Amino acid sequence: MEKKQNISIRNQRRPKGIVSPISINFIHLRKPWVVAWWGASYLGYAYTSMGSYVKGFIFIFLEALINVQAKLNLGILYTFTGRFELAKQVVDTNWMLFYAPIYLFSIWEGHRLSVDLNKYCILAEREASTMIPFAVSSSEIGFLDKRKPWIAVALSCLAPGLGHLYTHRIQTSYYILIWWMIMAYMGHLFQCVHLTAVGDFAGAIAVTDPEWLIFLPSIYLFTIYDVYVKTVEYNRLFEQEQERFLNDNYQSKDFPMP
Amino acid sequence: MYVYASFDYSAFLELAITDLEKRGIAREHILAVPLDKRVEERMVMDTIHRADGISLFDGAAVLGAVFMELGVIYGFVLKWGPIAWGLIGLLGGAILGFLLDYFYGRICGHKQAKVTRNQVKAGDNNNTEVVLTVFCKASQYEMVEKVLWDNMAFGVGKLDRLRSSIRKGTANHGKEATRIDKE
Repeated sequence: MEKKQNISIRNQRRPKGIVSPISINFIHLRKPWVVAWWGASYLGYAYTSMGSYVKGFIFIFLEALINVQAKLNLGILYTFTGRFELAKQVVDTNWMLFYAPIYLFSIWEGHRLSVDLNKYCILAEREASTMIPFAVSSSEIGFLDKRKPWIAVALSCLAPGLGHLYTHRIQTSYYILIWWMIMAYMGHLFQCVHLTAVGDFAGAIAVTDPEWLIFLPSIYLFTIYDVYVKTVEYNRLFEQEQERFLNDNYQSKDFPMP
Repeated sequence: MYVYASFDYSAFLELAITDLEKRGIAREHILAVPLDKRVEERMVMDTIHRADGISLFDGAAVLGAVFMELGVIYGFVLKWGPIAWGLIGLLGGAILGFLLDYFYGRICGHKQAKVTRNQVKAGDNNNTEVVLTVFCKASQYEMVEKVLWDNMAFGVGKLDRLRSSIRKGTANHGKEATRIDKE
C-alpha cells in the first residue's frame, strides 16, 4: 500500500494527466507554432494533438463536411495548377465562406491553448501530484507502460490509427482510422496506388477523386507525428510517475545507511 | 549486508521490489534512488529510455506534409500522377525539414561543446535509471540476488562488511594502505 502523501506538497491540484480505461490523457510541453501549423493543415488537429478530443473530433467532421460541400480541395487544385476559371466555377460560395472564420480560429486557438497548457505542464511537473497508473473497468483496461516509438510510427505508416491503438488511445485511433478509410475509399487511393505501381500514370490520374484524395497527406503525416510525440511523452510520464512513487515510498529515514 | 542493483524504469522494477517485500525484506530496508541522466545531445529518434522532446521530428513532419500536399496537387497535371509525386514531395519535404531543423538547431539551439566522458563510456547501452539498495541478512543474500536478476536488473553487487567495522575502518585490517605504500 502506498503511504499517504504530505498534504501540503501533494495537494493534487494540478495532475499531469489521467489514466482511464479508454485512454491515457495528459499534457506535455509543446512548441506553439507546431500546434498552430497542425491547426492550419486540417481543422481540429490542433485540438486533437493536445488531447482536447471533443472539440477536435467535431472540427474534423466539420472540415470534411464544409470542404466537400464547398469543393474547396478542387478549388485549391485548380488554383495551384493555374486553371483559375475552373476554380471559380467549381467552388460553392454558399459553403465556402463558413470555412474562413473557423479556419483562422483553429490556428489561433491551437497556438493560444498550447501556450496556456505549457504553463500548467510546468506547474504539474513541479507539483508532482500522484497519478494512478492503472485503470480497469468492465469493458477496458488502461495502464501506463513503456512503448517503443518506432513501432508506433511504423504501425501508423501502415494504417493511420493503428499506432494510437498500440499506445491505448482508443478514441483517437478509431476516429482517425475510420476517417482514413472513408477518405481513401472516396478518393480511390488504392486503385490509384495500384495503377501507379504498374506504370499506368494516365489511368492513375483518371481514377482518383481529387476532392477526397487531397485530404490524405495531412491526415497521414499528422497521425505519424502525433503518435510519435505521444509515445515519447507517454514513456516520460511512466518514468515520472515511477520516480515519484519510489521517492515517496522507498527512501525511508529508517534505512540503515552503511 | 547490502545488495545493490541497477534498473531502468519499468514494471519489472516494481515487481522486484514487491517480491522482496513479500519474501520478508522490510520496506524500510529498501532504498531506491532514481538517477538524473545527463544526456543533452539531440537525437533523430527518441528511444524508449531517452526522450528529450527536441528530437528532429517537428520540421520533418511539417515540411513533409506541406510538400506531400503540393506533390499530390501538382501530380494531377504532371506525368506520374498524384501518388508518385505525393511520395516524392513527402520524401523531399521531410529531408528538407530535417536539415533545416538540424542546422537551425546548430546555429541557434543550445550548443554542445564536447561529448562528456560518461556519455562516451555509456553509449547506447546505458539504460540505468534507478539504483536500488537492499539491506538484508547474509542468509537472505542468495534469495535477494535471484529476485533482482529474475526481474531484469542490469547488474547486482554486494557489500558484506558490517556497519560498525566500516565506521571504524578495521574491516580490511589496513591491507589497502600497505599496498599503496609499496607502490
